[in-house]
Amino acid sequence: MGLEILVCIKQVPHPDHFSEIQVDAGKGRVIGEGIPVIMNPLDRHALEEALRNKERFSGRITVIRMGRPRVQKAVEEALAMGADRAVLLYDTAFARPDTLATAFTLFYAIQRLGKFDLIYCGNETVDSGTAQVGPMLAELLDIPQVSSVQEVSFIDEKSLEVRRALEHGYIKVRLKLPALLSVTRDINTPRLPTVQGIMEVAQKELIIWNAKDIQAPPESVGLKGSSIYAASVHEYKTGRCREIMQGSTEEKVRRAVARLKELGAI
Amino acid sequence: MSDSGEIWVIGEQRLGRLEEVSLELLSKGTALSQRIGVALSAVLLGDEVEKIARELVFHGAEKVYLLEDARLRYYQSEAYARLLAGVIEEHEPQVVLIGATEIGKELAPKVAAKLKTGLTAHCIDLYVGEVDDAPHIIYVVPGWGGNLVMHIICPQKRPQMATVKPGVFSKAVKDENRKGKIIRVKPDVRDEDFRRIETVEVVEESPKGKSLESADVVVCGGWGMNALGDFSKIQELADILGGAVAGTRPAMDKGWVEEARMIGQSGKTVSPGLFVSLGASGAMHYTTGFMGSKVVLAVDQNPQAPIFQMADIGVVGDLCEVLPCLIEELKKYRMPRKS
Amino acid sequence: MDFNLGREHELLRDMVKEFADNELAPRALELDNKGEFFWEQVKRSGQLGLIGVINSKEYGGTAMGHLARMILIEEISRVYPPLGFFHQTGNLLMYAIETFGSEEQKKEYLPALCKGAKVSALALTEATGGSDPANMQTQAILEGNDYVVNGRKSWITAVDPADVVGFVAKTGDKFSAFIVEKGTHGFEVTRREETIGLRSLPVNEFALINCRLTKENLIGEEGRGLASALTTIATIGRTGAAGVGLGIARGCYEIALKFAKERVLYGKPIAALQAIQFTLADMNVKIEAAKWLCYSTAWQLDQGKTSRDLAVDIARCKLYAVDVANRCAHKAVDIMGAYGLSPEYRVIGLLRDALELGVAAGSQEVMKVTIGATITR
Repeated sequence: MGLEILVCIKQVPHPDHFSEIQVDAGKGRVIGEGIPVIMNPLDRHALEEALRNKERFSGRITVIRMGRPRVQKAVEEALAMGADRAVLLYDTAFARPDTLATAFTLFYAIQRLGKFDLIYCGNETVDSGTAQVGPMLAELLDIPQVSSVQEVSFIDEKSLEVRRALEHGYIKVRLKLPALLSVTRDINTPRLPTVQGIMEVAQKELIIWNAKDIQAPPESVGLKGSSIYAASVHEYKTGRCREIMQGSTEEKVRRAVARLKELGAI
Repeated sequence: MSDSGEIWVIGEQRLGRLEEVSLELLSKGTALSQRIGVALSAVLLGDEVEKIARELVFHGAEKVYLLEDARLRYYQSEAYARLLAGVIEEHEPQVVLIGATEIGKELAPKVAAKLKTGLTAHCIDLYVGEVDDAPHIIYVVPGWGGNLVMHIICPQKRPQMATVKPGVFSKAVKDENRKGKIIRVKPDVRDEDFRRIETVEVVEESPKGKSLESADVVVCGGWGMNALGDFSKIQELADILGGAVAGTRPAMDKGWVEEARMIGQSGKTVSPGLFVSLGASGAMHYTTGFMGSKVVLAVDQNPQAPIFQMADIGVVGDLCEVLPCLIEELKKYRMPRKS
Repeated sequence: MDFNLGREHELLRDMVKEFADNELAPRALELDNKGEFFWEQVKRSGQLGLIGVINSKEYGGTAMGHLARMILIEEISRVYPPLGFFHQTGNLLMYAIETFGSEEQKKEYLPALCKGAKVSALALTEATGGSDPANMQTQAILEGNDYVVNGRKSWITAVDPADVVGFVAKTGDKFSAFIVEKGTHGFEVTRREETIGLRSLPVNEFALINCRLTKENLIGEEGRGLASALTTIATIGRTGAAGVGLGIARGCYEIALKFAKERVLYGKPIAALQAIQFTLADMNVKIEAAKWLCYSTAWQLDQGKTSRDLAVDIARCKLYAVDVANRCAHKAVDIMGAYGLSPEYRVIGLLRDALELGVAAGSQEVMKVTIGATITR
């Protein structure tokens, strides 16, 4: 059969180091340099599902990442896990996009890559976590899409049945390929790269494209292509009382409960 | 503002039941529409859901665009997205608000991409404010590290779209005497809408234990509960207070709570009357999940834990000692809390 | 000089770290208390390609080299030293067969050992003293085409679970190395020693009683066995023990550091106290020094230098890494007070494991003998 599968991956700061991220309040920008990075956790689940599909039906997996080439941890890990090749989209014109501009950038790259059967994305990223890019990209590509996918079954080589999560329950959806699936952590347990996989990374193809390579119109991508942006960054005034109770354990608890009563919380 | 379009709230119903977030959005929508001076309308898709359309009117919608068809009974992604985009294009609202439910999170970006417009996610507030001496709707979104938030604006594209998580805003007040128009729009449902993708089954179970969303008290345990070994004392405290049990991500990873009870940026947001945080140090992606609570009580053994910045009342101590003591003390007051 | 590890070694470290944190850490205490050989973890290690990193691909290995091996043993030992130590001893016979063995032996044994489907042991030590191997008593006498072997080996790691054991015996006035398979008539595991550390790795005594082996059981040439064994122990055993030491040291340091930041006394974390900071600083410096000593030695092995060229480097890194491991473990226990001594917490187990490293692959004193004798030549 041979499935042509694309997996969109994002390189994000390691969640254990989130507290080290500094914000440039004046520019409303994040300073992420020097923080350890990883592949977005849900993207690993997306890639794992793609790997399983490839093992079953044969084919090729291409991972796509937008970002700078200086640190390529996410791509290296993806290739070590078993992806066949990687595409890096790098151009200053792509920088500071909102979700729609991101979707457009990926859209133009995928146009250049050509025919595909299935695209896997993680439902959301640990940093921005909007869960928007998958559905938007599918819309631009004019293909069916489902979010929060927990299970994928192939009905035949051209159609799938997937189970997607609801808050308390699920929906089963049938769809025809080509399609895009945004997956949750329930879907599988991602494999660890093996030593063999790690040593094969050097042989795999890494393609780097800029805006011209994918013929992305400047008004559709990056900051220019963004409809929304952060006008400013503020300290959130929580307005909390911040009273720390004093005394022995018993005294502290007694005072706390008394205060709760006063505040009308109990 | 120069925009003359309406404020729209996309109502969500499932199996004939209205999602509460729609009512929460109506309260914010009402505030916006009054401030800007334009009408507040709602849109509802489904089958035989006129009663729900009326609920939307009782909660503040001046108009409800009702799109009914047997084939729209369940959420169908292509049909819903196409019809919604269509009705938006026809009536040109200036703002469209959608609840960030599982379905809303998928539907909103599809519609935004169809309309090629901006979609802001995770708003914890929105209001009309000034940016560079011009009025804008400002979407407040949690930012990075510490207590920072970003003010997002959508200067050009219309409609401005935003999603808001359930539990962030309070519900609109119901007034059964409120009059509003229900406009039946005959949706142009096509076979083509179901050719590539179709919902074949919808299963909804009732949540185990007291629901997080409707609870007026939430008791949330974090990694520090390791010292006690499990969540039994948390459940006990929640029972005394008449509240729901929740956990942080580490607590969920440990298996003490299921994912549906995880509080945080990638989990649930709650705004109860009382939020009790036990043994969680207070990382930003956790605290955004309960920022809107009326009163916050925090217990942690580290006096420098950031959680104490986000709390009204703080108790520094060993959970093994504090928690049983707290339970005893509250028993004396004979709970549950007043409504 | 480029001190960056490079992409593959970084990817390897990340993978092993995740394997250790997610799959070994949750069960470390339990496995240690059970004291049983951890087949499941060995198979998993084989599945990930970790066991055969110094064997060639032709025989099922991954040929990633000595630095890779050092790193993976370190990351595993940070969390569960017995599995790290298993790599130390388990790789010994694998190296000996690949370096000195016949084509048949390589094809017969290496693939299963690389996969973790089978395990091995290498036996030199006897009651006469592991530090004095030339005085060993085990004898292999040629009778026709067979060797008849009689003797007893003691304090050998993992003979009980081993499918295949390599050992050295006297052949005439020289020494030869042999392979014996489990179940061979005349080969008998006679004791399991009680060990204070690395409790899930059995340490055994075995006897060879009129055990008949053929020339096919010889590893390499007759008479060259001790040299081969000592080369193997230096190249694989000492570097492996060093890796375990690095891992234990870092594991203890990280636990102690985390504890110090969370443990509140006098109204603030004890990490704010200078006495604690000084202890942690001391650990920090020693671990960093040990790391580079060990990595540079492993790197040089990867460049093709022999264990003879690197005799001092190898002895030095084993000596130092094991010292640092013991010191860091002890200090970590100190920092953690009563918690440090409690068997419910990890640190006391790491200290016990560190104690076992002293006599592994040659005692600490033997390392000094190697270094001292060489530098004063």
